[in-house]
Amino acid sequence: MTTAVLRLHRTALLVWTAFVAALLLWQVWLTTAGADETRRLAARCRGMLDYCDAFSYGEQMAWPGILLSHTCLAVAAYAGGALIGRELESGTAHLAWTQGVTPARWLAAKLAVPAVAVTLGGTALMLAFRAGWAANRDLMWDDWWTSYVFVDRGPALVAYGLCALAVGTLLALLLRRTLAALGAGLAVMLLLTVTLDRFRSELWPTVTRRSARAFDPPEGAWQLDGGHRGGRYVLTYHPESHFWALHLMETGVLLAVAALATVAAFLLLRRRTG
Amino acid sequence: MTDTAFEAAGLGKRFGRRGGWALRDCALRLPAGRVCALVGPNGAGKSTLLALAAGLLAPTEGRVTVLGTAPAAARARVGYVAQDKPLHPQLTIADTLRMGAGLNPGHWDADTAERVVAAGDLDPKAKVRSLSGGQRTRVALALALGKRPGLLLLDEPMADLDPLARHDLMGTLMAQAAQYGTTIVMSSHVVAELEDSCDHLLLLGGGRVRLAGEIDDLLAAHARVAVPAGTDLAPHTVVESRTTGRQLTALLRPASPLPSDWRATTPSLEELVLSHLRNPDALALTPAHEEAAA
Repeated sequence: MTTAVLRLHRTALLVWTAFVAALLLWQVWLTTAGADETRRLAARCRGMLDYCDAFSYGEQMAWPGILLSHTCLAVAAYAGGALIGRELESGTAHLAWTQGVTPARWLAAKLAVPAVAVTLGGTALMLAFRAGWAANRDLMWDDWWTSYVFVDRGPALVAYGLCALAVGTLLALLLRRTLAALGAGLAVMLLLTVTLDRFRSELWPTVTRRSARAFDPPEGAWQLDGGHRGGRYVLTYHPESHFWALHLMETGVLLAVAALATVAAFLLLRRRTG
Repeated sequence: MTDTAFEAAGLGKRFGRRGGWALRDCALRLPAGRVCALVGPNGAGKSTLLALAAGLLAPTEGRVTVLGTAPAAARARVGYVAQDKPLHPQLTIADTLRMGAGLNPGHWDADTAERVVAAGDLDPKAKVRSLSGGQRTRVALALALGKRPGLLLLDEPMADLDPLARHDLMGTLMAQAAQYGTTIVMSSHVVAELEDSCDHLLLLGGGRVRLAGEIDDLLAAHARVAVPAGTDLAPHTVVESRTTGRQLTALLRPASPLPSDWRATTPSLEELVLSHLRNPDALALTPAHEEAAA
């Protein structure tokens, strides 16, 4: 069955490989040749325009990062539409089920192949992003808590992809129509992304400091709240050391959603086909 | 191996919690080795019954057994071709057959599959999306026959074939049935299409079994009579009767030998089927009813 899945989704696999390779090359080019070029230009225009090209480097580095953190939307659309939805709508799923493959094995193979592709590609891109992000901090203006930076710098990136795969699959089994599943997969993953982005800071206890005198937050802190209350200065923030706790909590939430969606998909398939 | 290929009792399928019943109270028994015509008007439940037997749908109520076990356990030994002949458009014919070989390890008959395709003059390197409806049917049948099934379920298999291809594929199917003792169930709403090749009939109407049995037995159990208007037809079961002027013509299920002055003839299969479909209230004739009567 795995061979059959590979043969059926050869194009998708090639597209994914090309996407991963292109994004890797883009980042490598930016962090090496791009950064050198920026420094040369910055040296030439020093004293005339501060950060004249340093700004542009930060902006250019943001694009692959933002693209990367939204890749899960494409994965959800693919899983809902092409991977499962189209097969149910056109009846080719039935073809597999009557070729001596149980529906459960069919679904397992359908999920396993893209899950491996997502994990491998996602891990490579995550490592590349980590290296690229750390390389030229002096030319960049984003922070560790910036949405796409936060997601792209750890396993949550892969978890987003796996979650999208499972959610798209479940929706396709529920809706049984290509376009509906594609749209629903996209919408649900967008909602999940926005929700997690909104409530990200609440996944781990914050630090609150009070003082009679005004003070600055520590270097690299993600400041959430601050002000002058009851005669004291108050600051609520996540220090940079909270990154992994927050990041792994988010990864856990995503993997839990992925696991629930996968179990629901198998149960639904079993109830429907007996 | 049991001698019953396909059996159902109290079988019912409803789509959605408040949807109508596609199939209800369905009882049937098909002996192994038969070629069975599954006949009925559109929406009679033919496709639902075949999908239940193929293990693609779970019944809402009742029980279905194929080749002596539950449909889910018999998948490897059951061939199924759906009405719209789904195939992967992006694969070539050769890839499609290779997929069949990969999904049926240990019991794939490459020769048969390739022969069915070759008989249609198809290029194995052609993509499935470039094929006509009839050519797709041929590839779908090749895939179903290649797994050398004990039970072959075909949903409107001949609908998009030209007469020549129909004749040729029907011949292939019959040869398969004769050589390996394959039981074949094929549905159609065109009775004439199946009359010559099938020896068993299953007539569905309104989601219920209306007639079931060997075609010869079913025909022998009925008579078409022409008698003067006003003749009392009791105690025979009347399936359909019509009075034209002073003549009454009727399709009966005789309870006893008919009076010799009634002009009685054996109905054709098509007449038998149409009379039952036109008169949904007529008593069904199925093995279950015979057992109840005995």
